[in-house]
Amino acid sequence: MGDFLKGLPSYNENNFARYHAESSCRISNQKPTVYISTRDYPSDQVITTEKTNILLRYLHQQWDKKNSTKKRDSNRANLEEGAETSSASTKMPRLEAGDDSSQT
Amino acid sequence: MAHINYIVTAHKPTAVSACETGNFTSPDDLNLIIAKNTRMEIYSVTPEGLRPVKEVGIYGRICVMKLFRPVGESKDHMFVLTAKYNAMILECQQDGENIEIITRAHGNVQDRIGRPSETGILGIIDPQCRCIGLRLYDGLFKVIPLDKDNKELKAFNVRLEELSVIDIQFLHCCNHPTVALIHQDSSVKDHHGRHVRTYEISLRDKEFTKGPWKQNNVETEACMVIPVPEPYGGALIIGQESVTYHKGDNYIPIAPPAIKLNPLICYGRVDSNGSRYLLGDMAGRLFMLLLEREEKMDGTQVVKDLKVELLGETTIAECITYLDNGVVFIGSRLGDSQLVKLNVDPDENGSFVQIMETFVNLGPIVDMCVVDLERQGQGQLVTCSGAFKEGSLRIIRNGIGIHEHANIDLPGIKGIWPLKMNTDDFDNLLVMSFVGQSRVLMLSGEEVEETELAGFDGDNQTFVCVNITKDQMLQITQRSVRLVSLSGGGLLCEWTHPDGRNISLASCNTTQAVIAAGSELHYFELAPGQIKHAGQTTMEHEVACLDITPLKEGESLAELIAVGLWTDISSRVLRLPSFESLHTEMLGGEIIPRSILMATFEGLRYLLVALGDGSLFYFSLNPTTGLLTNKKKVTLGTQPTVLRPFRSMSTTNVFACSDRPTVIYSSNHKLVFSNVNLREVNHMCPLNSEGYPDSLALANDTTLMIGTIDEIQKLHIRTIPLGESPRRIAYQEASQTFGVISMRIDVAEGSSSANSGPIRPSASTQAQSLSSSAGSKPLGPSSTGVGDMSDYICGEEQEIHSLLIIDQHTFEVLHAHQLMANECATSLISAKLGEDPNTYYIVGTAFVNPEEAEPKQGRLMIFHYSEGKLTQLAEKEIKGAPYSMQDFNGKLLASINSSVRLFEWTAEKELRLECSNFNNIIALYVKVKGDFVLVGDLMRSITLLAYKQREGQFEEIAKDCNPNWMTAIEILDDDNFLGAENSFNLFTCQKDSAAATDEERSQMQECGLFHYGEFVNVFKPGSLVMQHAGETLTPIQNTVLIGTVHGAVGLVSQIPQEFFNFLMDVQTRLANMIKSVGKIDHSFWRSFHTERKTEAAQGFIDGDLIESFLDLTREKMAEVVQGLQIDDGSGMKRDATVEDLVKIVEELTRIH
Repeated sequence: MGDFLKGLPSYNENNFARYHAESSCRISNQKPTVYISTRDYPSDQVITTEKTNILLRYLHQQWDKKNSTKKRDSNRANLEEGAETSSASTKMPRLEAGDDSSQT
Repeated sequence: MAHINYIVTAHKPTAVSACETGNFTSPDDLNLIIAKNTRMEIYSVTPEGLRPVKEVGIYGRICVMKLFRPVGESKDHMFVLTAKYNAMILECQQDGENIEIITRAHGNVQDRIGRPSETGILGIIDPQCRCIGLRLYDGLFKVIPLDKDNKELKAFNVRLEELSVIDIQFLHCCNHPTVALIHQDSSVKDHHGRHVRTYEISLRDKEFTKGPWKQNNVETEACMVIPVPEPYGGALIIGQESVTYHKGDNYIPIAPPAIKLNPLICYGRVDSNGSRYLLGDMAGRLFMLLLEREEKMDGTQVVKDLKVELLGETTIAECITYLDNGVVFIGSRLGDSQLVKLNVDPDENGSFVQIMETFVNLGPIVDMCVVDLERQGQGQLVTCSGAFKEGSLRIIRNGIGIHEHANIDLPGIKGIWPLKMNTDDFDNLLVMSFVGQSRVLMLSGEEVEETELAGFDGDNQTFVCVNITKDQMLQITQRSVRLVSLSGGGLLCEWTHPDGRNISLASCNTTQAVIAAGSELHYFELAPGQIKHAGQTTMEHEVACLDITPLKEGESLAELIAVGLWTDISSRVLRLPSFESLHTEMLGGEIIPRSILMATFEGLRYLLVALGDGSLFYFSLNPTTGLLTNKKKVTLGTQPTVLRPFRSMSTTNVFACSDRPTVIYSSNHKLVFSNVNLREVNHMCPLNSEGYPDSLALANDTTLMIGTIDEIQKLHIRTIPLGESPRRIAYQEASQTFGVISMRIDVAEGSSSANSGPIRPSASTQAQSLSSSAGSKPLGPSSTGVGDMSDYICGEEQEIHSLLIIDQHTFEVLHAHQLMANECATSLISAKLGEDPNTYYIVGTAFVNPEEAEPKQGRLMIFHYSEGKLTQLAEKEIKGAPYSMQDFNGKLLASINSSVRLFEWTAEKELRLECSNFNNIIALYVKVKGDFVLVGDLMRSITLLAYKQREGQFEEIAKDCNPNWMTAIEILDDDNFLGAENSFNLFTCQKDSAAATDEERSQMQECGLFHYGEFVNVFKPGSLVMQHAGETLTPIQNTVLIGTVHGAVGLVSQIPQEFFNFLMDVQTRLANMIKSVGKIDHSFWRSFHTERKTEAAQGFIDGDLIESFLDLTREKMAEVVQGLQIDDGSGMKRDATVEDLVKIVEELTRIH
């Protein structure tokens, strides 16, 4: 006895209740009709892929994290923020600082 | 002149790659959805079983198909990802009987860089539907956040430290989407160990963070992660020998011996609480995995133990899904799919599995041949299908088979009708009519004998006979209309023509009859014991045929009659009982209508009129107004045709009796004309007697035959199970046999493989006679292996190859010749060689040595099969594997490793090498035509060689310089060559003999490119249909049949440029008109695409798209035709009409 097979899920107890073993009576012998549509339903959503390179995204995230902590500290304008980082950190951001200053 | 190709599917793919259960078509419908390569089939679970709802074609190969329930929805949506990275989210909307598949979201998720993973595309959906996860490329994991309110679903990549991911799944009940994955460490230090990792996905920061648990060094063959839902959570890791439950500190491993033998390949969850799962293994065994629970003090439930129980044997599963009430669908790629029931009580074999239904799958088609066994002028296809225990031969023929159960010599039958005498169940009488007389046969069991019936008129020809009630029948003869008692009461009443005229024609149903006497029509109403003359009229001309079949199914009263007339060659519809003329249709021509029939197919009414020359007109019939529209003509045979309705599988069909008997039925609301495997049928009637249930009685000039009819479908498939993998097939007419190369797997008992034996009985072990190559017992060091390890190894598997000789009529295996151990048969042909009058089977083999990169040794063997004996005549040792062979003008051409070699058959019956060509990496395929040889290389596309008889050598004529990895090749004509490559594309190349320079001549022009979307294993010239006499609009030549891995059968044929241009115009219009599911452009789908290049399709017409024209509504058809120019043969162009195009496309559907 397969007790482990007892109580198999039943969503609708009628399903398969009138199943015919005779192959000639089976409804699955009918072939499904082929779906064909000429109506254009606009799609609600478009799936796109973020173009950003994952390394760049990572660096930006690191950058933002670092800055956001600073931002809370100083809560100052761009220029000062730029200046602050440039003074506080090593070579890399110095370029950015230059950019910032040139924009202003 | 350019040669262009028309490609169309003759048999859709049947191998199942995925299946899902859910509420897709509506919240209350339980649906089974099956993916078969490019197609999706939707079924509903009903009390009667699976009801087909719709088949949906996708412009892409389906790689991922998953149902999910978005938050706040009452039914499931479907996520689909194709091999060309088109992602889509689909919703089904139901409108009465109609369904619409709405593309809710779509887009392409391909990245410009990234190495596609060797383990294929993996796609998973978070159980709480927060995101979809995709592993497309090594080292990257793509996340599509499922944000309902955003117009744009912006997918992002996350770096995945683990490069080689074996399987990945989302875990249940986690605060953040969390994945669990099995990966393989590629470092040597780690011995390629496999580990399990979990990661949380931070959708905001777009990165992985540390997951809740991990497990290093799980089993080295761990291949599957099964996420366990609430209340347990965690995951199951399935390996080859063990099953382990993981959830942080809870860790339960088991190693049930039962699962060790074969790898488990798929699972299906049974209970929504995750306590039971079904597992399927490579040998087709079905297991149940049970999670035993324990309730903790705090009321939480945890997994205490795992158990695995063997349930029984099924087909080899690719996917498993639980439906309802113990019924499970098992999708298979290597064999037929099945619907099975799980029973609590085992059967006599101890199996808990009961197979309810099987779904035919031809895939993988490994090889095939086209033969005309019945000599009807029509090819049939015999394929090597399936693998391992599901291996089989499939005989595929266009048309419907009738299987004879009894036959009686009875010449001159003019009509037959079944009757029930005093019973409601089975027919027990058969009335037959002859010139000037009639007879009654009594059917008792399978016995048939002539009987007398009081009141039955045996001295006249009967026109029709029918039960009015179970004890009364109506007989209409030349002389009279008669009501006869079937309970011994004799003649009850009779009507004769008042002027004593003879009746010339009659038709009746159970309540009405109509007769014709010359041009007079008389109408009768019938009741038990009563014939009431209820009307009469005189037609303009003599009546040639008439019909009074009720149009409404299940109703016994006809409101219309259909009449065909002599002289003006018309068909008419009249209203009863007034004989008011509703419609007159002039048929034209001089051939009189011989049979007329009103029929209902799939709820649509038709009038069919068969003429004396074997042609048939058919019309749509309006049952209220009697109006005939949509006149169409088709040629069925060459002789007068008689139309007889019958029912099979509870649908209406019509049997057209003629010299080319045809069954007319409806599929997808279109009439299909399918020929029958009988030479000639003059009359037929359905027969359902106790001894011959659901049968047909068929009469020709000399015989009455009783038989049963196949399932009505366009292609009929017969299965010959082999129980082992068939690899190559060749047909030999001389011995009326098929030669088949097959492979079975033996398992060595204990340490020494010398004791190896077959796992299960199969074709090569059960043949009527057996033989083997000398030294068939294993060779080499493996047989003297050390015994110490044997305790752990439960048997080394060994491939055993055999040549099978199979009878072409009975498909019995007459002989099996077993090859040597580690000898692998790679090719097989049947050929005549040199002056030798005998036809031989030639088998090419290679010795496989695991240490060698490619085989270094092989042999060519010549066998002769005659008078039940297989004799080996010769053997030639060769230095490599003979991948392909051809009969080349009486010599043997073989491609052996990188070379193409020609062997002569000497008078001493030996093979002698004549010449060779070396310019390939691996020459996998050769095809020949005249003195030309086409070679298909592993990775260097195709090369054309010419054999120079005088010099006795090959000359390289031209080659295609594109780096195509070939899977099949074919020669279309002297200048055009067809190739299939391993990225599912087809291409054609042209040899340019007229080019100015040698260099130009030596390069083939690639002139056709097409993404077929099916992996082609074999091309064979031939066709599955008979070439019909009579004019055709479709100039088709050089047809080639295609066999694919997914079990699809395709057809490529050449068409002229003019016709191509016309069809191309139609194709473009259809591609615009028909909106694809998932919004994938047709041009994108069909563009030739490999890892190296993507190019627009050219030189191929997509016949499947062209044929979908017939599925459009009339208005849409008219829209397609708008402005379309057609050349009607006069050379002048004019605007095409819907009818023009319908006719052309319908003809195109008949080429396959």
